[in-house]
Amino acid sequence: MITIIYRLLVVYVIGLVGWNLFTEKKLTAQMNCAMVLIPLVLRALMIK
Amino acid sequence: MTKKNYISAAICLAVSVAIMISTSINFLAAREVPMPKEGPSVVEVKMLSDWFDGLKDTNGDTPVYVLKGEKEGGSALVLGGTHANEPSGYMSAFTFIETAVVEAGTIYVIPYTNHSAMTHNDPGEGNLQYFTLQTKSGERTFRFGSRATNPIDQWPDPDVYVHYPSNQQLSGSETRNINRGYPGRADGNLTERMAYGVAELIRAENVGITFDLHEASPEYPVIHATVAHQDAMDIASEGCINLLLSGIEMSLEVSPTNFHGLTHRELGDYTDTMAILMETANASQGRLRGATTREQVLGGIDRFYVINEGLDMLYVPYDETGHPIEERCGRHLQGVYEYIAAYNNANPDDAILYSGVPGYAELFLNADPAALGGAHLGSFLM
Repeated sequence: MITIIYRLLVVYVIGLVGWNLFTEKKLTAQMNCAMVLIPLVLRALMIK
Repeated sequence: MTKKNYISAAICLAVSVAIMISTSINFLAAREVPMPKEGPSVVEVKMLSDWFDGLKDTNGDTPVYVLKGEKEGGSALVLGGTHANEPSGYMSAFTFIETAVVEAGTIYVIPYTNHSAMTHNDPGEGNLQYFTLQTKSGERTFRFGSRATNPIDQWPDPDVYVHYPSNQQLSGSETRNINRGYPGRADGNLTERMAYGVAELIRAENVGITFDLHEASPEYPVIHATVAHQDAMDIASEGCINLLLSGIEMSLEVSPTNFHGLTHRELGDYTDTMAILMETANASQGRLRGATTREQVLGGIDRFYVINEGLDMLYVPYDETGHPIEERCGRHLQGVYEYIAAYNNANPDDAILYSGVPGYAELFLNADPAALGGAHLGSFLM
């Protein structure tokens, strides 16, 4: 159960970071968002 | 949002997705763990869940190779891969499975005691993911795993790990270290269930003597050492003398009664087996090392350890030739041989007899120095 809640939270954060990626005006901030997405997505899919 | 921002965001996302895909392929490949080939005495390959079904369909379930002789006799268990980042442990198990000819008794060999730990590694340590060896059948790939259970299989770590049943408290990350989890429990976390499975195998098969094969950092005091449960000390003392006569420097220590969770303590306390653990030296385990390379993992070569040898900071000699995998596996396999010989002297009606496994001399002392560091070990593997 705790894993399901954890993954839902991760997916929620992915949504927020993804939203930020497309609304940010600065390229460096967009790159930062894209980097942050990598471990989050791998975690949500329970790959790493 | 401007169109320009949208395009740059899409490019960033595309790069990110490309990295996700390539790393995912890499991480998922780690879940395919290479297995030993069946040697001349392997009669059956069972799963640990055959002794404890609480491991069925989990990443903690692991193959158990059963090597049986034609004559009746006692039984032994060899645990490799307790720590999946200590290659001489599981490579000794591979060598044993692929070369041993058992004449009397039964020998159970688990190449990956913590199977889950073999399915990931420690990128933060800059560790290898795999290494290759040239064997009789060509090039084979072997994995280099982690000390602890894969957090995908068991999480979260508690702040403090409380060992069952002693209530000893350790760092939270030790909850995924199977060698702090013995004797395990049937309804515990995955690591405790793996440990319980091993204890169940020992109890069900009346395993007389159990070996746990390790590597440790050269600055760790318990190195080039055997640690034995107090019930196994007579056998370990006799075996240790014979190892010294074979040219192997080996210290012998009795398992501390107040340090819980380890094979040499708990398997001795909670089963009737003679529990013995052996440690060899490898720079890749240490904190003083340079980059973790294939040369370091298999050759045991590290120039920083040579410097520290000069500073008298190590518990084993260290020079430019390092401590190759042949020396480390040779120590383990010779140790298994001598301790079983001592066990046979104490239990002549339950003798365990085998041959064909290369010992310290064949693997290391008589080897061409140029072939050390993996090539010579590979020549014994199928």
